[in-house]
Amino acid sequence: MIEFKLPELGENIEQGDLVRLMIAPGSTVSAGQSVMELETDKAVLEVPSSVSGTVQQIHVKEGDKIKVGQVIFTVENGAGVRSAPEIAATVAPTEPVGPPVAASQPAGSPAPSSAPSTPASAPAVERAERRAQPQVASEFKLPELGENISQGDLVRLMIAPGTKVSEGQPVMELETDKAVVEVPSSVSGVVKEVKVKEGEKIKVGQVIFTLEGGAPVQAETTRARNAPVEHVSGQHGARLAFQAAIRAEGKTEEQALPPDQPRPASPVFSMPLQLGKVAGTEHRQAIPAAPHVRRFAREVGVDIYEVKGTGPGGRISEDDIKAYAKALLSAAATAAQAPPRAGYFAQPQLPDFAKWGKVERVSMRGVRRKTAEHLAEAWNTIPHVTQHDRADITELEQLRARFAPKAEEAGGKMTVTAIALKVCAAALKVFPQFNASIDIEKEEIVYKQYINIGVAADTDRGLLVPVIRDVDKKNIVELAVELSQLSKKARDKKITPEEMQGGTFTITNLGGIGGVGFTPIVNHPEVAILGLSRSRMEPEWINGKFEPRLILPLSLSYDHRLIDGADAARFLRWIAEAFEQPFLLSVQG
Amino acid sequence: MSETTNLNIAVVGGGPGGYAAAFLAADLGMTVTLIDPEVNPGGVCLYRGCIPSKALLHVAKLVEESHQAKDWGIEFAAPKINLARLRSWKEGVVKKLTGGLGILSKQRKVRYVQGRAEFENSTTLRVTKTDGAEEVLSFDRIIIATGSRPAIVPSLKLDTPRMMDSTGALNLEDIPGSLLVVGGGYIGLELGSVYAALGTRVTVVEMLSGLLPGADRDLVLPLHKRLEKMFEGILLNTTVAAVQDEGTGIRATFEGADVGVSEAKPHEKVFDRVLVSVGRKPNSEIAGLEKTQVQVGQRGFIQVNKQLQTDDLAVYAIGDVVGEPMLAHKAMHEGRTAVEAIAGHKVAFEPNAIPAVVFTDPEVAWCGLTETQAQNENREIKVAKFPWAASGRAITLDRPEGMTKLLIDPQTERVLGVGIVGVGAGELIAEGVLAVEMAALARDVAMTIHPHPTLSETVMESAEVFFGTSTDIYRPKRG
Ligand SMILES: Cc1cc2nc3c(=O)[nH]c(=O)nc-3n(C[C@H](O)[C@H](O)[C@H](O)COP(=O)(O)OP(=O)(O)OC[C@H]3O[C@@H](n4cnc5c(N)ncnc54)[C@H](O)[C@@H]3O)c2cc1C
Repeated sequence: MIEFKLPELGENIEQGDLVRLMIAPGSTVSAGQSVMELETDKAVLEVPSSVSGTVQQIHVKEGDKIKVGQVIFTVENGAGVRSAPEIAATVAPTEPVGPPVAASQPAGSPAPSSAPSTPASAPAVERAERRAQPQVASEFKLPELGENISQGDLVRLMIAPGTKVSEGQPVMELETDKAVVEVPSSVSGVVKEVKVKEGEKIKVGQVIFTLEGGAPVQAETTRARNAPVEHVSGQHGARLAFQAAIRAEGKTEEQALPPDQPRPASPVFSMPLQLGKVAGTEHRQAIPAAPHVRRFAREVGVDIYEVKGTGPGGRISEDDIKAYAKALLSAAATAAQAPPRAGYFAQPQLPDFAKWGKVERVSMRGVRRKTAEHLAEAWNTIPHVTQHDRADITELEQLRARFAPKAEEAGGKMTVTAIALKVCAAALKVFPQFNASIDIEKEEIVYKQYINIGVAADTDRGLLVPVIRDVDKKNIVELAVELSQLSKKARDKKITPEEMQGGTFTITNLGGIGGVGFTPIVNHPEVAILGLSRSRMEPEWINGKFEPRLILPLSLSYDHRLIDGADAARFLRWIAEAFEQPFLLSVQG
Repeated sequence: MSETTNLNIAVVGGGPGGYAAAFLAADLGMTVTLIDPEVNPGGVCLYRGCIPSKALLHVAKLVEESHQAKDWGIEFAAPKINLARLRSWKEGVVKKLTGGLGILSKQRKVRYVQGRAEFENSTTLRVTKTDGAEEVLSFDRIIIATGSRPAIVPSLKLDTPRMMDSTGALNLEDIPGSLLVVGGGYIGLELGSVYAALGTRVTVVEMLSGLLPGADRDLVLPLHKRLEKMFEGILLNTTVAAVQDEGTGIRATFEGADVGVSEAKPHEKVFDRVLVSVGRKPNSEIAGLEKTQVQVGQRGFIQVNKQLQTDDLAVYAIGDVVGEPMLAHKAMHEGRTAVEAIAGHKVAFEPNAIPAVVFTDPEVAWCGLTETQAQNENREIKVAKFPWAASGRAITLDRPEGMTKLLIDPQTERVLGVGIVGVGAGELIAEGVLAVEMAALARDVAMTIHPHPTLSETVMESAEVFFGTSTDIYRPKRG
């Protein structure tokens, strides 16, 4: 058995009046825990225990004058007697076993009524009990409204069958003989049946409404949190109401209200400076950053809660924000590059080719790599379909021959590609969806009011696609000249990036090499590409007999997201027919 | 921001929120109209709130100190109170400040319209001017700053000048022999203190178990003890069930567990006057508001986001009308934030600490985290307290009952909250706010040299207490 005696309180302080005892027989005390408040002629002091254990007997009572050295109480199973006592200047963790400071009553106010009860441990026990039996609520009963209030008149119902209620949301106004109180729900769910009517007298415990399958309620916090909201009587009323309101409005996270307050119905704030409850501020814990740093973060679009502070105590500086923003940016940049590269490069691990013979490794940087990335992306994002057709260009060939000297004069070469440019430009005017792009993010189709056609050129650097602008506004000779110039530039490595941008459609001609057809890959973000293969003389069944005709195989690959198969067939047929009736073109060109 | 500075904005309500917003808007180049029924800007705070109450509390403190001076060997005769003079001094203070705001409006070319505004739509106001004229004005943005008014308890409504709200009490019509203050919040205690100092027998009734509900109990205790001496009675856990006008006074009937247990806790009593200070209600019942998209929450507060913007994109709202805490400095900060948001700045109302001050004697002040809140949130904190009995300055003032405490995060040792009770606590708390906002560590506070001998040292010393090294307190080592 260990005794706790009143320790030295300070210079020239020999005694004090015991204004409040914070323990009772049976309480568990630990060293450092405040056990009483003593009023000396200088100040009111909180006296911490220097012993730990279960309080056995208390030798003093409130109102007594107590002298330094006098025995205050004894403990059983005492442990950890502290070497020396401490006075009021304590550093105590806020979760003491006994009553926390905030739960204390002002001295001079009535002492907790029944003297031998244990104010210290009672709430804890009660809490434990409540915690042990979480209730599953399928109905809402009128909770306790406060001391001596057993009933009230229902002045206003705020719910009806079908209403969604959530915990803490006010569901009715009750007029007691003291005031009008707003009663918040302690349950969440959808109201099934309302068992009361406006104007009725309602008793504590009476069922107000039932729920369609109620949600389990953590009783411990619920009780305090959902104590009726007294909004017209008491300075705090408005505050309480405010809390209920923001809860109901779902603006902030709910917070349990003090379970250790002497009365369950006192979750009140004279001037509540719980910032989580201030309108417009969501409840996040105060961030360790000076105000200007927080504003800076906002300005640069950084969520400061994501930033790790490098200062003492995790304090976040402006530099931390900058570093974070930089990291974000570069991460974003890498991410932007990553998918195509991943799309192309991410493939199963390569075998050791050298096992089977000699190999040479050559850098893939430059055009090859760009092409690889670009095509892989196009292939990955665009659902490709290729439509094949054939155009009889026997007549066109004559036209070409006629125009050839003219083109040559002008410094160009009259090729099938040059003619195809003219044909496609005309076709794109008739079928604008082939001259479009898809903006998936905005969910929009971008129709271009201009016709710029790229022509794939085979160079020793790889595939390049110079773009000829406003094709529809140029005649065939002009197109032939421009095409020749651009192709030469491409081969001579003189082409500028600008000259390869802004295309709306692409033509690729492999006819110079051979082949009967192929499936070109759409040049993203365009939606279609026309492939030309080698034209050859073929027997065509015309007017009851086979005739030798010059046939050009056409392959149109298109983005099936935007273009339907039938449209593609029509578009390609239109092109084929245009090739077949060059007369049309000469009229237009 | 150049493209936004020519915005035309209206501010409805000329309180601290309203005029702070209007002035900043003008400074940013906007065209500003400020509308309020009073002759000059000021609102509740200047006309019938913070300012007149603080003027009277200053006088109350002087009277109290003159009594205490006896202990120091100086004896004054009982004060003779010239009520008319006191009133006109208080009114002079109000005039000086509100007049000053009027001049500041003019200098900034804010158009001040004396009248009441109602909404025609989101961007149009109909203003009924005090001189009777009407004007319909259109704006790009409107800021609602209509504030709040005293809450009324239906059962405490009596048609007699003996029943007062805070506005009536500040009018100081007479010095009643006895006064019942209903509501032990800060307004009731401040005004109760004024009347007590002037000689009125004051009784405070509080429904809950302590004064200043919500404030940490250890901060309230010293105030409670002093008020017990100043007031005739402090009735806790008590409500006023009924009031009755008896012509010569008001009979109040009390209810509560302790009522009737002793002579000091009577069932009923007659008072010369009654002050009802049970809270404040937001002025959100603005005519025509339903013609906008503005949403009013169930408790009457206008709903806003962190930019103080309502559900109507053209309408912002600030101050008491948007929610707690209903304090002038919160209103002003919100007003400025709203204007910056309107000007296109990326801002938000997101303080880490808003100070609260109760201007009683001793004063009670706190900011940031409170112990009560920490318990509610189950947050582990450490509390370092410095009792003013160990402060030289407090002893020279003969006011050793104060206490300063820091709430500290045990992991980072960051100062999360500060609580102070004692003379001048309202001034001292500013350092606490700065510490919390700057994310100061207890060590920062402890290592900052504070002037000696001042009460401000208690802030530094409480940080030292945290480390067990306070100069003025002996604290034996643990273990
Ligand atoms: C006795 C007392 C003491 C106080 N002490 C303090 C203190 O010490 N510290 C502190 O921080 N706070 C104190 N307050 C609170 C403080 O007064 C308020 O928080 C503050 O005034 C709120 O400012 P506001 O701008 O939101 O509105 P208010 O100051 O309430 O101003 C609103 C203005 O809008 C006007 N208005 C309303 N409707 C309309 C309309 N339709 N058209 C035009 N105008 C309209 C009103 O007439 C009023 O002038 C005290 C309050 C009281 C009552």
